[in-house]
Amino acid sequence: MSTIENYLAPSSIDDAAAALAAGSATIVAGGTDLMLQAGSGQKEYAPTLINIQKITEMRGVSLDGDTIRIGALTTITDLLTDEIIAEHLPVMATMADKFASDQIRNAGTVGGNICNASPAGDGIVPLLMYKAEAVLASKPNGSTETRKVPLDEFFTGPGKSVIQENELLIGVDIAVPPAGFVGGFGKFGPRPALEIAMAAVGLGGVVKDGVISDVRVAFGAVAPTPIRSAETEAALEGKKLDETTISAAGEIASSSISPITDIRASDWYRRHLIRVMTEEILNDVS
Amino acid sequence: MDQIVEKPDTLIGKPIPKPDAPDKVVGKTTYINDMVLPRMLIAKIKRTDRVHAKILSVDISAAEKVPGIVAIATAENSPKGLIGVLKDNPPLKGDKVRCIRDEIAGVAGETEEAVDEALKLIKVEYEDLPGVFDPEEALKDDAPLIHDDKPGNLSLTFDFEHGDISKAEKDSDIVLEEKYELHYVTHTCMGPGCVIADFDTHGKLTIYTQTQYPYNYKMDLAPALDISAGDIRVIQPPVGGAFGSKLDVYPFEPIAVYLAKKARRPVKLFFSREEEFIASPTRQPARVYIKQGAKKDGTITFRDVNVYLNNGGYTSWGATIPAVMMRTMTGHFRIPNVEFHSKAVYTNNPFAGSFRGYGNVQATYVTATLMDKMAEELGMDPIEFRLKNAQKPGERTPQNSLLKTAALADCIKIGAEKTNFLEKHAANVAAREKPGRIRQGIGIATSIHNAGGAKIHKSDGCGTILTMDDYGRATVITGASEIGQGIDAVITQLVSEELGIPTSDVIIANNDSAIGPWDVGVHASRTTFIAGNAARNAAVKAKQQILAAAARQSNVSIDKLDLRGGHVVQKDNGVSVTKLDRLLRQMHFAGDDAELVMVSEYYEPPSELEDKNHVGDISAAYSHGAYITELEIDTLTGGVKLHKMTCVQDVGKVINKLGIEGQMEGGIAQGIGYGLSEELIIEEGIVKNPNFRDYKVVTAPEMPEIECHFIEDDEETGPFGAKGISELPCIIPGASIANAVYNAIGVRFDNPPITPEKIVRALHGDKIEAAE
Amino acid sequence: MSAKVDITFTVNGAVKQVSVPANMSALDMLRDQLDLKGAKEACGEGECGACTIIIDDTSVCSCLMYAADCDGRTIETIEGVQTEDGLDPIQQAFVEHGAVQCGYCTPGMVMQAKHMLNKNPNPTEGEIQRGLEGNVCRCTGYRKIIDAVAEVARS
Ligand SMILES: Cc1cc2nc3c(=O)[nH]c(=O)nc-3n(C[C@H](O)[C@H](O)[C@H](O)COP(=O)(O)OP(=O)(O)OC[C@H]3O[C@@H](n4cnc5c(N)ncnc54)[C@H](O)[C@@H]3O)c2cc1C
Ligand code: FES
Ligand code: FES
Repeated sequence: MSTIENYLAPSSIDDAAAALAAGSATIVAGGTDLMLQAGSGQKEYAPTLINIQKITEMRGVSLDGDTIRIGALTTITDLLTDEIIAEHLPVMATMADKFASDQIRNAGTVGGNICNASPAGDGIVPLLMYKAEAVLASKPNGSTETRKVPLDEFFTGPGKSVIQENELLIGVDIAVPPAGFVGGFGKFGPRPALEIAMAAVGLGGVVKDGVISDVRVAFGAVAPTPIRSAETEAALEGKKLDETTISAAGEIASSSISPITDIRASDWYRRHLIRVMTEEILNDVS
Repeated sequence: MDQIVEKPDTLIGKPIPKPDAPDKVVGKTTYINDMVLPRMLIAKIKRTDRVHAKILSVDISAAEKVPGIVAIATAENSPKGLIGVLKDNPPLKGDKVRCIRDEIAGVAGETEEAVDEALKLIKVEYEDLPGVFDPEEALKDDAPLIHDDKPGNLSLTFDFEHGDISKAEKDSDIVLEEKYELHYVTHTCMGPGCVIADFDTHGKLTIYTQTQYPYNYKMDLAPALDISAGDIRVIQPPVGGAFGSKLDVYPFEPIAVYLAKKARRPVKLFFSREEEFIASPTRQPARVYIKQGAKKDGTITFRDVNVYLNNGGYTSWGATIPAVMMRTMTGHFRIPNVEFHSKAVYTNNPFAGSFRGYGNVQATYVTATLMDKMAEELGMDPIEFRLKNAQKPGERTPQNSLLKTAALADCIKIGAEKTNFLEKHAANVAAREKPGRIRQGIGIATSIHNAGGAKIHKSDGCGTILTMDDYGRATVITGASEIGQGIDAVITQLVSEELGIPTSDVIIANNDSAIGPWDVGVHASRTTFIAGNAARNAAVKAKQQILAAAARQSNVSIDKLDLRGGHVVQKDNGVSVTKLDRLLRQMHFAGDDAELVMVSEYYEPPSELEDKNHVGDISAAYSHGAYITELEIDTLTGGVKLHKMTCVQDVGKVINKLGIEGQMEGGIAQGIGYGLSEELIIEEGIVKNPNFRDYKVVTAPEMPEIECHFIEDDEETGPFGAKGISELPCIIPGASIANAVYNAIGVRFDNPPITPEKIVRALHGDKIEAAE
Repeated sequence: MSAKVDITFTVNGAVKQVSVPANMSALDMLRDQLDLKGAKEACGEGECGACTIIIDDTSVCSCLMYAADCDGRTIETIEGVQTEDGLDPIQQAFVEHGAVQCGYCTPGMVMQAKHMLNKNPNPTEGEIQRGLEGNVCRCTGYRKIIDAVAEVARS
């Protein structure tokens, strides 16, 4: 295990960004991924460990005009009880209810889930569905700057993303979904929650007079990163949600992906589950 | 005025909390994993990363130089003795590694960091050898040889023949032939493996261990150490579970001793959870070929069973499970003609030990699902077919188990009635024809298990010493170990019942082999029965001594006296003759007549060893169970939701209601895991899922409602009529679930665990072929 | 060795000041530096709950929390649950309902049960089961634990 030479616990985004600008740092939020990965040697610590938990401005959900900001330090448990989430982004709460266990939900953060960039990161799936944008802060020239990256352009591979060494994820921004927007999240495992997803689906759109539009479909655990499925979206966009559309969408959803086979599930079963869950959510919202 | 002591309610059958529970709920109990001795070193094991290879060299020179490293043990610098059931396992490997667990070196140091660093610096050179991982492959002539002195890779074989199966097959109206593949599961005790070794200056060893058989443990450990078994003192601190996993000596234990000897300091060696998954024993996997015949009227005619056991690299108790499998394969249903043959075959897999249910989990999965299938083929219902063949009280099995109080038929009938089995079963079958995503299922399975010990050693006994102090307290020194199962509570209850003192006045001492009398160990559901009998008999003796003294003093005849509420009383009217503590002091300080209440008992159950043909009534009693599972299946995802498990079991007598229910429920959780979710995945000898993420033990949300019905048929030889009960709850659920799954979806699984993916593949298999 | 971090926090009502390696877990600190060995390490991977503690009113797996992150916070461990008056009602219920066998999971179970009841004093049976989903018990089959928690919720 690599050694940590320096430990910092900044209390503002500005201080954290300044510390990151100095280079060679590892960020820790809830630690539920990092501690495990560093302990098993899967990940090496950079010389400086920056604990961002004291940056209170990064925790919580806020609504500013038409934009909802979920702070990076918002815990998965927070998503279950937050009123803005319940009103505008209920699928985040559905996801949180199928996430890990109470203890892990209490410690694990939305930002950590995103930055860990696991192909099976559950939180990412509904965020892709809600068209979230990652908000990244850095302090390249002595002043703190932010940039936004749409989440569907954020991930580059398992554990990899476009986030730079000197950047901190401060939260995600989501436009308040339009009236009539409905969605769902599906994750299957024999247990209610404490499972690494074999496959996960986030699907939503505006349903009006039985027709779905503005469709967003995202899958987890079936590709090197959580993905959007443009094919499935196209198969649904502007269609009446009848049996034919739904089963065609399920078919396309499962054939558009090429998941791996591992000890958790075969590629065939993963595709099967994607189809079943896609159709299930569509039946629920139709 | 006379003091009257009312006759208290009996304690037998009452829910008595465990005496160790209060310390456990406040976090005060010091488990072996929590122990720290003065100047104690930390130790870990360098394991191989090969499954079959010649060791060319082991270089510890860099590791020795790490600051804080005190001792390193290798095959070269350690005793050469062997351990294991066939003494085929050198604790440290010097010439060859045979499975992924193999131990190359033990390292002891001042800190865990230093030890971790040193482990990385040990360099081992190997020459890889071809591996073999399947027992039938390993039997072939050209298979790699695992042990030079084990030709054909054969470990242990068991053979039993009764009647004439080929004639019976000809006389059968129907014959079913099946193959089962029973998987690896593991104990996952919550307290990971740990041992502490410490020598005194006389060269005597004190070993703090998780063992569940402290007395024979000395005998098994000594050969590896070059010291006499008599110079080993075994101390058993509280442990985080055992379930059979601690019934043998495993390499880490002698390795800790080697290090303690070299360092002349106490050494604590412990496992990480990953190591616990990789390096502790598993349940024995089995490939079972079975043929069974019956007459049209439902009479079973014969069974022909051939079993291949993947022995792994070394032989521990796993290879001996046929001794128990056989009992279920040959009996409890009437099997007039039967053959059983098994071969345990060395491979390059990790090896199995004993695990609650000991072969019977596997045997029951096979027989109970086959019984179901045969009933259907015969056009009989699953209850009728079982009742037709159930052995009755007084019958013997072909292996000569005498089923004195066999309540199998009662178990089946009560279970069927309580659950409205036949109606639901038929309705579920009918529903299979209709469209619908969710299917309901109900299934039954039964089994038999020894319930009055199991004589596999020359003695199946337990020693007990009971003494009373000057204040009316009883100390019971028993050979039986407490591993969380609750024997302390049972003994407390039996003794306080007999002596008429509160349970809080009974002290149990049973964690030090230098003090306790011999016991064979906690296994085979024997402890309540055997240690219970020993404790009760000791209490009866103590009582006699006390009452005799009271009779002398009071001139009331002994048969009119009794012990009650801390007094000696007159039996008929409860009038106190004297207070117990006062009497004890008077007995003790009586000058020349001084006597101390201090009695001993060695209880040997009325059972016999098997002869070489495996015939013998090995247990003083047998218990039967019928478990009925109700569940639903989501045919699209394959998800199984258990609704309820109704368990009927003949238990002789309930002693501690909390204890028996806890043993039932805990066993059932393990049995559910066996049937539905747990599998240690081993590919080419490598453990693929050494963590709780992918090795799925049952968690709270998956537990169904459990309803227990205990048939109290008073076993005459049991303490207050009790039998041993703790394995059946782990044995039967898997098969019961499998039969319920069949009832729901019409598919049988001969390869547990029945995972969602297996269910979906079975139901939608056609689509897979299209897709692949 | 990793850098040391000086931290100050409250454990079971007492203020503690310790110096911990930056990579150390809260569990190792509690067990090895503060000699609070009630919390157990049964997996070290967040999967079993044996190490559960309550920190600033939420339960967490202390094996996956950095010790340094305890700075300025308030921690309750199993050792702090019992009061001078005796066992906490949850502890009492665990004893009386037979919810303890080997007891290795018990400290974590009690802490998680306590946290759950703090958040939801009237849980349904299903909510109790879900509330304990992160705590593995290999001995009891959970039924008696669920009964014990339900009993506390009722009274
Ligand atoms: C038992 C168990 C069960 C789990 N179950 C699930 C599950 O069901 N679904 C699921 O999706 N995940 C699950 N996880 C994984 C994990 O809990 C989540 O990914 C969690 O959201 C991570 O958050 P954290 O705050 O703990 O991350 P940390 O471990 O603190 O960080 C994770 C990574 O992100 C980086 N990072 C964190 N925050 C930031 C930031 N603001 N800016 C830049 N980089 C940052 C860190 O450097 C690190 O590399 C489980 C983990 C465990 C141990
Ligand atoms: S030890 Fe922390 S969750 Fe298992
Ligand atoms: S009581 Fe043993 S693990 Fe729960």
